[in-house]
Amino acid sequence: MTFLHILWFKNIMFWKVSTKRDVGMVIRNLGSFIVFGSFAIGAFYFSNFITAYLLENVRIGLFLFHRFIGMLLFVFFITINLGNMVVSFSTLYRTPEVDFLLTSPVSYLNIFVIKFLDNFFYSSGTLFMVGFSLLLGYGFYFNLPWHFYILMMFGVLIPFMFLAACIAVIVLLLLMKLASVVNFRLLVGGIVLFYIAQIYFYFQVSSPVNMVREVMKYYPYVDLYFGTLDPTAVKVLPNFWVSEIMYFYVTKNFTAVTGYTSLLVLSTLGLFIFTLAIADGIFYSTWITSLSIKSLTVKSLQLKNSIFSFGRPSFFSPQVEVMLKKEFWQFIREPSQWIHFAVMMALLLIFLSSVSTLNIKLQTPELKAVVYLVVFIFNIFLINSLALRFGFPMMSLEGSAFWTIRSTPITAAKVYWIKFAIVVIFLVALSIIISWLSNIPYLYMQKVTGEQPWIYSFIEPSDTVKILSYFSMIVTPLITITLVSLNFGLGSVYSNFIEKNPIRIASSQGATMTFLLSVVYLVFLLALYYFPATMLFTAEMKDLQPDWHMLRIVFFAICIPSAAIIAISHVVGLHSLKRDY
Amino acid sequence: MIELTNLTKAFGSFVAVNDVSLSIPSGEFFGFLGPNGAGKTTTIKMMTGLFTPTSGRIVINGFDVEKQPQEAKATFGYIPDHPYLYDKLTGREFIYYMGGLYRMEKNDLKENVDRVIDLLELASWIDKKTEDYSQGMRQRVTFASAFVHKPKTIIIDEPMVGLDPRSARIVKDSLKKQAHEGASIFMSTHILEMAEELCDRIGIINKSKIIFLDTRENLHLHKTKYDGNLESVFLELTKEENE
Repeated sequence: MTFLHILWFKNIMFWKVSTKRDVGMVIRNLGSFIVFGSFAIGAFYFSNFITAYLLENVRIGLFLFHRFIGMLLFVFFITINLGNMVVSFSTLYRTPEVDFLLTSPVSYLNIFVIKFLDNFFYSSGTLFMVGFSLLLGYGFYFNLPWHFYILMMFGVLIPFMFLAACIAVIVLLLLMKLASVVNFRLLVGGIVLFYIAQIYFYFQVSSPVNMVREVMKYYPYVDLYFGTLDPTAVKVLPNFWVSEIMYFYVTKNFTAVTGYTSLLVLSTLGLFIFTLAIADGIFYSTWITSLSIKSLTVKSLQLKNSIFSFGRPSFFSPQVEVMLKKEFWQFIREPSQWIHFAVMMALLLIFLSSVSTLNIKLQTPELKAVVYLVVFIFNIFLINSLALRFGFPMMSLEGSAFWTIRSTPITAAKVYWIKFAIVVIFLVALSIIISWLSNIPYLYMQKVTGEQPWIYSFIEPSDTVKILSYFSMIVTPLITITLVSLNFGLGSVYSNFIEKNPIRIASSQGATMTFLLSVVYLVFLLALYYFPATMLFTAEMKDLQPDWHMLRIVFFAICIPSAAIIAISHVVGLHSLKRDY
Repeated sequence: MIELTNLTKAFGSFVAVNDVSLSIPSGEFFGFLGPNGAGKTTTIKMMTGLFTPTSGRIVINGFDVEKQPQEAKATFGYIPDHPYLYDKLTGREFIYYMGGLYRMEKNDLKENVDRVIDLLELASWIDKKTEDYSQGMRQRVTFASAFVHKPKTIIIDEPMVGLDPRSARIVKDSLKKQAHEGASIFMSTHILEMAEELCDRIGIINKSKIIFLDTRENLHLHKTKYDGNLESVFLELTKEENE
């Protein structure tokens, strides 16, 4: 009863906020509706096009296609898992609501379940929408009946995501339990390494290159089922079950569909019960432990005589100096900031280490272009994720102390530009490094020269490949500035000075809308980039002259809308700071 | 010196502050009283740049707050009703931060940080993060950060919220010291005794309009009309029409 009582009032609060009647809110809701709607339609067409392209143009076959879906689902699963873990840390251990509920006669388990569900549904709404749109695009290609979508949404997608959330919260609870005896930062380091190792071993075991090589031996019979090629370790993973459900649905093996769906649903249910049992036993004691973690962080992160110490002189003007130092301390002393940052950097490192050693041996220019574009867009996507996670909440993180900015002789615009500079300088530098590393396989191609396979020599790449690589390295920083501007500007427009949790700010409605807008921009880039990439790889393979005119058009087609996005984002972002506080 | 001329603030159809005009000369301690929702905080938020007035003009120490906001803000210190600080900074770091926003040079700032820490007796806990502070500790740090650049004018919204008797005494003494040194002080408060004790002049705002404005001496004349108590004057002036 208490549980339902609390849920009821949370529901009332949600609807009161969502249906607030003022002009600004109506315009924002209308804007959100248009963006969300357009994105859903875009995701549908994108999924439909990619399915058709890979199966009809590239002809990878049904088996490989679903194995690639499985690999993407693995990354998706880990992302949801880590995201839920970081958000759960904040919502379960760092919110005034939990502090308040603990003083009331509500059981610890009820408090846990309320916050866990709140957490899951708050951060998963957009993912459901995106997932459903992608499924529609996929289903339309195969002409699948209506019950496919019902099954996939309620029997597959929701349990799959819920399973990831359950695992996340179990790991978190155990981590917090251990934190009473082991140094917390050591534990965080351990868990980061554990996840890195997981991803590394997954891609080692289920090597996509080997899989393609093995399946392609049977070309053109690539639609057949090659289950014997799947490593046993991979078969126990939920992403594998989902890809199997999709493959067998398309090939009309409903017995297998039922088997894998039951496995997924029952595993999720079992794990949820297990989560409740663990939470019932240790949630309160881990909450008590979290209080001592707070004081541990205070003592160890003072760095009194560092260059970031407020008492130390600096060559910046006083206003710039104190702003930079404040930003540094706010970041370094907030666990949800630096932990998330460390995790994202670690994932980036893994990705780059594998991409920079990629051995490109593809025979058609289309396939080469696809591989190149996948890596290129993934780089941009990573940059965008960092911009959204760390750039979007920056103005909101001024929080209730924003009065200090508005009532002192510093302009809000100056604060805006200082904060923007911090994010943009870091991300532009990172984008240059990422872009260079991911072009290494194209710029520094190797071949075995002697009898011994470990002795390599470098092949001078063709001019056309060099052009594409340098083109990407010039364009990537520009795209980074655009994405940071978009995230930062709209982060100011949707600033929320009440919410203290940066992760919740970065997954708010405004942030989701910003993310969708940036995805539209990414799709636009992808569409533009396809032409020069294919043209340059064709020129390389057939020894033709590159089409300079097309390159120039593409360059300007990227520059002009990017400049417009940068300008509009900053104009609306700066204008929003003039609002009454 | 503070000059408010025909100051009005409306939120849609609701007028929070209606045609308020006030002049507070240098060195005066001005008490701004009024019931909840009368328009005190809105007036102060307009003076400090947190709200934009719908109409009217605010001049602080010769600078128009709307036209020369940076110059005006450089001359005053503000203490809000809710002392929100940056949780992850220590009290000392917060005072340094505020000094930097007022463009103070490092050596001057260091001296003044030490001065305000002594003035408000903060030394024993000033190097802890502010998220661990009580309401009173936060309030005293806010006072220190407002005094650090030696402002000509101090604007305070409800200074005594959450202060224990000792802290309240420290704050009152520090305010008296600032006034004695020539700062003009604009203070909104609900504590009538405090206004009576500290202020040279008192203004009362009710339902968005100034309904009383006089010196402390003349206030005594008003008090004799009632039972000699400021509280009775206040209640009579601000009573609801249907009471």
